[in-house]
Amino acid sequence: MGKYSIGEFEEVVLLAVAILFENAYGISIKKEIENRLDRKVSVGAMRTALNRLEDKGYLESEFGEATAIRGGKRKRFFKVTPYGKMALEKVMETRKQLWEAIPAIAFDFKFV
Amino acid sequence: MNPQANLTPPKIPLKFLRWFCNDNLIEDVEGDLSELFNARRNQNQAWARLLFTVDVLLLFRPGIVRNFQFALRLIKYAMLRNYFKIAIRNSFRHKGYALLNLLGLVVGIASSILILLWVDNEVGMDKFHVNGDKIYQVFRNMKQSNGVVTTTGTVPKPLGDLVMAEYPEVSEVARISWPVDLNIGIAEDVAEEEGRFASKNFLSLFSFQLVAGDKNNALNELNSILISQTVAGKYFGDNWENALSHSLRVDDQYDVIVTGVFEDIGDNSTLDFDFILSTQAFFNLNEWVNDWGNGSFYTFLSIDDSEKARIVGSRIFNEINDHTEGNSNAGDETVILHKFEDTYLHSNFDNGVVSGGRIDYVNIMTVVAIFLLVVACINFMNLTTAQSNKRAKEIGLRKVMGAQKRAISTQFFFEAFLFTTIAVLLSVLVVMLVLPAFNNLVDKSLFIDFTELKTWYFLGGVTVVMGFLSGTYPAILLPAFNLIESSKGGIKQPAFTAYLRKGLVIFQFAISTLLIIGTSVIYKQIDYILTKDLGIDKENLVAVRMEGDLSKRLETYKTELSRIPEITAVSAASGNPINYGRSTSSASWEGKDPTEGYEVKVILSDEDFIETMGMEMLSGRSFSKQLTDSTNFIINEAASKLIGFDDPLEKDLSFWGIDGKIIGVVKNFNSSDLYEPIAPLIITCVDPSRSSIALIRIEGNIGEALIAIEEVTQKLNPGADFDYQFIDQAYADIYENELTVSALATIFAVISILISCLGLLGLASYSAEQRSREIGVRKVHGASVSQILILLSKDYSRLMILAFVLAVPFGYYLTQNWLDNFEFRTALDPFLFILAGVITFVIGVLTVAAKSYQAATVNPVNSLKHE
Repeated sequence: MGKYSIGEFEEVVLLAVAILFENAYGISIKKEIENRLDRKVSVGAMRTALNRLEDKGYLESEFGEATAIRGGKRKRFFKVTPYGKMALEKVMETRKQLWEAIPAIAFDFKFV
Repeated sequence: MNPQANLTPPKIPLKFLRWFCNDNLIEDVEGDLSELFNARRNQNQAWARLLFTVDVLLLFRPGIVRNFQFALRLIKYAMLRNYFKIAIRNSFRHKGYALLNLLGLVVGIASSILILLWVDNEVGMDKFHVNGDKIYQVFRNMKQSNGVVTTTGTVPKPLGDLVMAEYPEVSEVARISWPVDLNIGIAEDVAEEEGRFASKNFLSLFSFQLVAGDKNNALNELNSILISQTVAGKYFGDNWENALSHSLRVDDQYDVIVTGVFEDIGDNSTLDFDFILSTQAFFNLNEWVNDWGNGSFYTFLSIDDSEKARIVGSRIFNEINDHTEGNSNAGDETVILHKFEDTYLHSNFDNGVVSGGRIDYVNIMTVVAIFLLVVACINFMNLTTAQSNKRAKEIGLRKVMGAQKRAISTQFFFEAFLFTTIAVLLSVLVVMLVLPAFNNLVDKSLFIDFTELKTWYFLGGVTVVMGFLSGTYPAILLPAFNLIESSKGGIKQPAFTAYLRKGLVIFQFAISTLLIIGTSVIYKQIDYILTKDLGIDKENLVAVRMEGDLSKRLETYKTELSRIPEITAVSAASGNPINYGRSTSSASWEGKDPTEGYEVKVILSDEDFIETMGMEMLSGRSFSKQLTDSTNFIINEAASKLIGFDDPLEKDLSFWGIDGKIIGVVKNFNSSDLYEPIAPLIITCVDPSRSSIALIRIEGNIGEALIAIEEVTQKLNPGADFDYQFIDQAYADIYENELTVSALATIFAVISILISCLGLLGLASYSAEQRSREIGVRKVHGASVSQILILLSKDYSRLMILAFVLAVPFGYYLTQNWLDNFEFRTALDPFLFILAGVITFVIGVLTVAAKSYQAATVNPVNSLKHE
């Protein structure tokens, strides 16, 4: 995928962060994915993905307020960076190109 | 939120998370988990806890886990396996070296374990008392007539009473007697036991455990007796409670009631006894104890802290003198306190001040143990570095493959630790094997106590310290090898390593020489002690204890004994004359300075004493049966000097209320051990029936004589034990300690030189190998075997000589110091030093020569064909 390397799960997480906009932090992202995609997400897997995305520069984060329900710990809010947006667009574009390249006959299953 | 909102997630997974989680992530990861937990908890608490744990475990993955360099660790682990494999392969390839190495380490470590077991046992003596740090023993310094102060633990009873009544710092005063032998039993079933009298609070002050009876009031009654498990077992069986309130008969005179059974006294107590009777019972029967001038039982004070002890110590100092003014029975006596725990190791008093004792031997042996460890370490270092050339290729290859210096030093540390670990394990085995023999030698029952934490500390400590000491040098030296040279296989070690090796060899042999010097001096002194002319002919002289009223029938006994053909002379005395303690300060003579109190020894004897003992008269005459000599005295030279008459004969002398004349002066003889100068002494035959031993001179078959003596003794005194002792044996027993230490020192001197030689053997074969081509070339050019031998041994001989030069001053200083303890001592003989030097030199050179001879006789073709 050229310079925008991104995995399937990473893509999902990145999109979820974008959907949540200003309310994207660990648990909300997890719930968003679980609700929308109907799949289980473990804290560990998501956390790792978030880390990796941040390392790659697709995400940035800042701490919010501490709350009692979090045992006095602060939330870390994530935001998609412009570079992250470019990566998502690139992925979408690549997929589109690929879709377009599929000959119509390939998905014509009538005879099988 | 419900009121339980503050309930926290499970602790252990949380701790785990905090431990492994990356610092940058921990805050919001933990926050996320807590939030999740709280959300789930509302549905099902147990389920929430479980899920929390699962989540934490799922978080344990790269990217979340902090930077432990986990990957690096795994590599290290693999490398350790490689080091292990290589170390083993190397040892198998060079079996000889590995064996020398291991043998040196094992012998060194095993010896030091043995020594330290002994030291630990010595140091642990009397340390089991819970209140040990509060117990102080009272000692009495008696100024002797020759100006020397002797110190004794027998203390006047009134002193203890006074301290209890008037010293607020002292919370308790306990007394215990010297050991007494009494016949104890039920009806006819009687046996002699050794026990002591003790005061009521003795049991509460000291920590001797009762298995039956009540510690607090077991000694309340005059007729109470406490017996040991052994004694109780004899009469009442193994159920200790059974023994209580039974009566026992003591010396066929007194009936006593058993009020307690105590655990048998262990080897770690200097106070030992098989029964305890009440001191009050003894005091009631012995009026003399109430006199301030008479020493009676050992007295112990319980004082809370050392500050108070200091106060008591300064206040008590003159207490006896203050109470004995005008008392003719009293001498010049001062009182000192000494911590009870320390009395075993610090039992020598020099002019009333503690001056060592067994602690000297404990210190000597500790130093020897450390020496042995050091010598073994040096071996290991030397052998490893000497052998390192063989590892040059390996090191070179490792470096080429990217090993850092650190990795290579790790490797050599690892090898050192591996070797020391194996050596320590083997040593423990060896120690367990030789312990029975060693126990026999030192007369103790030592064992390795694996339940004791300090055993593990020690073994672990030795492994780490030895591993570190012996690994450091190779670990620093070897990684520094030049890469190219070492991969080619030939490596020139820096010059300083050769010097260092030589220095270490010198050090090793200096220590061995020092040990040999020490051993030989101890030997010489002991030989001097045992063969010294004491002024008494101690050979073929038997002392028989006169039990019961046998001494009242002394004349009959003597006549009967004289009929035995092997017996040439019989006398009696109030104690063993070569280790005699009874004294008086009541002696007075014309012109005596009345303000000075002097202790003079008094031997109660009969008319035949001088002749039987083989003593020599200096002037005057010996006692005679024909003349009535019962109020005449014989004094020794020291007493004569003290009294100060030019001619002491026919001068008046009185003591214990007996007025008499001096009729003879006997040559000085040693009436106490050779640490002490000869004390003034009076011999009297005023009342031979007060003697306690019969002294019998035998000539001819000793076995038969003994049988005959026993017969006579049993006939006159049926039922009593026949208790005898050879005077020369008794004399040697006094120096048991010195004999043990000398035996130990000999063994360990031999071991030390053995280890040093093992190292030397390794070094010699190393240098022979290094120079094999040189030797070949020399031989080709016509050098003889002996020339090559000399060439190879020369270097090492020089080291031996240097070692000797180094050892002599230390040896001189240390041995002279030890000899100074003795009043009677052998002179330091330069011959001993030379002998020690020659022994080490010869052994060392022989070791080198043996190895060199092998190298010198090799056919030069073999060593040169590779060129």
